[in-house]
Amino acid sequence: MRYNLQRAAVAAVLALGMCAPAMAQDKSSDAQSAKVPKNVQITLIPGLTTDPFYITMNRGAQLAAKALGITVNFQGAEEFDPVLQTPVLDAVIARHPDAILIAPTDTTQLVDPLKRASDAGIPVVTLDTYIGDGKYQDGSGDGDFPLSYIASDNELGGRVAARAMAKRIGDKGKVYVAHLRPGVSTMDQREKGFKEELKQNHPNIEVLPTQYNDNDASRAASQFQAVLARNPDIKGVFGANLFSAIGAANGVAAANKSDDVTVIGFDAPPSIVNDIKSGKIDATIAQHPAEIGYYGVMTAYAILAGQSVPTKIGTGFTVLDSDNVTDDAVQKFIYSE
Amino acid sequence: MANTNGASVLKPLLNAWSWLFLAIILIFFEIYAQTEVGATFLFRVYSIQAILTAASQILLLALGLTLVVVAGHIDLSIAFSSGFAAVVMALVIRLGGMDSGFLIFLAGLAAGIGAGAIVGLVNGWLIAHINVPSFIGTLGTYGIARGAALIVAGGAVVSIQNDSARVFGNGTVAGVPLPAIIAGVLALFCHYVLTHTKFGVHTYALGASRASVERAGVDVKRHLMILFVLSAVTAAAGGLVYTGRFSAGAANAGEPILLYAVAAVFIGGASLTGGQGTIIGTVIGSLIIAVIQFGLVFSGLPPYWQFIAVGLVIIVAVVVDQSRDRFSGSQT
Amino acid sequence: MSALLEVDGLKKRFGGNEAVSGVSFDVHPGECVVVAGDNGAGKSTVIKMISGVYTPTAGEVRFKGEKLTGKSPEAVRAAGLETIYQDLALADNLDPGLNLYLGREKMRRVMGIPVLDRKTMRNDAAAVMKSLGIALPDPSAAVREMSGGQRQAIAIARAIHWKAQLVIMDEPTAALGVPEQREVMALIERLKTQDVGIILISHNLPDIFAAADRIVVLARGRVAGTRMPSETSDEEIVRLMMGASD
Repeated sequence: MRYNLQRAAVAAVLALGMCAPAMAQDKSSDAQSAKVPKNVQITLIPGLTTDPFYITMNRGAQLAAKALGITVNFQGAEEFDPVLQTPVLDAVIARHPDAILIAPTDTTQLVDPLKRASDAGIPVVTLDTYIGDGKYQDGSGDGDFPLSYIASDNELGGRVAARAMAKRIGDKGKVYVAHLRPGVSTMDQREKGFKEELKQNHPNIEVLPTQYNDNDASRAASQFQAVLARNPDIKGVFGANLFSAIGAANGVAAANKSDDVTVIGFDAPPSIVNDIKSGKIDATIAQHPAEIGYYGVMTAYAILAGQSVPTKIGTGFTVLDSDNVTDDAVQKFIYSE
Repeated sequence: MANTNGASVLKPLLNAWSWLFLAIILIFFEIYAQTEVGATFLFRVYSIQAILTAASQILLLALGLTLVVVAGHIDLSIAFSSGFAAVVMALVIRLGGMDSGFLIFLAGLAAGIGAGAIVGLVNGWLIAHINVPSFIGTLGTYGIARGAALIVAGGAVVSIQNDSARVFGNGTVAGVPLPAIIAGVLALFCHYVLTHTKFGVHTYALGASRASVERAGVDVKRHLMILFVLSAVTAAAGGLVYTGRFSAGAANAGEPILLYAVAAVFIGGASLTGGQGTIIGTVIGSLIIAVIQFGLVFSGLPPYWQFIAVGLVIIVAVVVDQSRDRFSGSQT
Repeated sequence: MSALLEVDGLKKRFGGNEAVSGVSFDVHPGECVVVAGDNGAGKSTVIKMISGVYTPTAGEVRFKGEKLTGKSPEAVRAAGLETIYQDLALADNLDPGLNLYLGREKMRRVMGIPVLDRKTMRNDAAAVMKSLGIALPDPSAAVREMSGGQRQAIAIARAIHWKAQLVIMDEPTAALGVPEQREVMALIERLKTQDVGIILISHNLPDIFAAADRIVVLARGRVAGTRMPSETSDEEIVRLMMGASD
């Protein structure tokens, strides 16, 4: 915990540039800045409250809140659904917090509800997902009013996965992407980054057609088996979400190909640890949701302190595999439950 | 009666069309594999195992559903009876600790089946005693079971570590995957019930004429209760196999399979109006879908074709169903 | 010979409307009584009071001297009085044997496992049908594939196989072609020779005269007249049906 706190504080200084040192000085000398927010109440609205990804995001947010001596409330719906998220948001607006951090569940349907918050003078920062085109404060589109968007760069995540794959399969051979369904933006971006990285920097790796499994691990498994039947020399699968990876890994195990085929997953829920330890999944690309939550709170605080903030902050990734999954240093990248 | 001669030739063909269709797609993919890839498609233990496992997962949801459809009803809630059972099983195993043994695994199985049975009881009660149309009633329990599964799972996937469960989902006996054996045994049981027992006859009669069954002194309400429990329990078995295969209980374990399970039942010769359908037909229907999915990936076509192909097969199945009715109608 | 069925002063009131008032008649074994009447004359209300679906407001029904009134439809059937409605209550998708035995299926054992004895049930059905003068071309075919007359025969066979002594038939020829109507009439003659009593509901004059030993004409909920076919004419029956009384 101490380690996290220190690291996160250092990261905040780097990310927020001028504002963080200013705040630090406020605390000690209470001289330089005219505006020191007091009794700050920020509300964090996740995509859904029960997902380890968002629980971990909240963990990071609470850490920042503690460092700043402010309060962050975690309020949300049970499912990832704009119809359920909007009433929660409306209730939060009625309470008039000092700022709202939200993972909007739809790029268009959340625009008007969030506009109500903005019109009421509550600054809005979106985390993980965005509204409109995701480019804020550039004067274009209805969803232009949030002040900042903090998230993993999913395309970069795909590239990280591609590099991890290339390293493990010796930079040549056939691979494919196991995908949920066309049109899920984060996964489309991961797929795009994965394919582009291979095309640009690993030309000896052949990418077979993407397989869509509708979030059905059983179908992901049989799809791997069919691809294998056609391509006995298949070297790897990139499962762009949890079920795609678990399903493909099951297909690999059923074919006794665990030693020959590399499975790379995405995200790091606690269950992934066992899958990596048992060798079912070779590596996974962990996002840093705690980092997203931490910077979300820091950014909101900076706004309340009258500072300017970047309109977009990209957070990083960590590759977890059997070499490091038990290390203390990477435990913080495994999502909470 | 000009078409009577045509009908007498066509009718047996229509009745056996699902067998023919399965044979045709297997031959098609085999020829394709031999000529284009220079390898065999079907005559490999590995391919057969993969297809059987995928088909079992569809079949487990479709088995009890077949009986419900024969009785003239539908059960949409199987999607989440399955997921609810999967999550409950995983939670029980997890309660037993991360390295729990065989007994905990058995307790998980029992709890999962029990969870499924509860959904079935609610369905049966709604449809038999409150006279809710089954489409609406089971759509309601679809939502309830989904919510219940998500709530007990805390919205997440419940991962487990249990060797018995892993073997249950991934083991083989003489090369036959255990999921296929489980589905096969349950299919045999359902086939026996539907074709060789009084319960089966009453199920067919119920699909044709409720009056005939009531007249015969059968307790129709009780019969419907048993049907919906059976449907939920076989779907739950699908969820348990899923949990075993992936060492994870997921609330949505059955949701993506629902459409294919319904399709398998109708491809297998069941009628939308009830009174028709066999377990053998449903087994063939499940195999057809699994072979198409496997074959299309194998062929390397763009993946969107899979959606179209399964959709087409469903339409063909319904068209065949209607032509069959027309030909038998032309004799009276 | 004593009467098989005695219908004694039946009355039925629905709210303020008296649908049936004071209907009495009886049926002897081997006799076919036609209950004739126009739509709304009260035929089906009378039948439902006999078969136990409705409880009469007044009056009673006796079967072989025992009071039937107040019993459930199941109990009435168990006593030996079967009503065959127009939909026949057949399971169209099953063969005649299973329809004959529905609810009381015969079982056999194969390696200790009980299974349906389809063959015996099928053969029994063919035998009962034969006794009614109906040959089944394919006893394993579903009832749906059979003619209207054959289907009617299966419903009747089901009744008498389970020892019905009186059969009520509701407009059995309504949906049939001419040859099939003849089949049903022949069936009724056969039943009579087996000493089964029959109540035939009809408003079709040729049927009435072909089948009846006695004609009870209902009009506006009352018995407008009772006639022997040999002593009456089409014109008189029509006049009675229109409401003229004795």
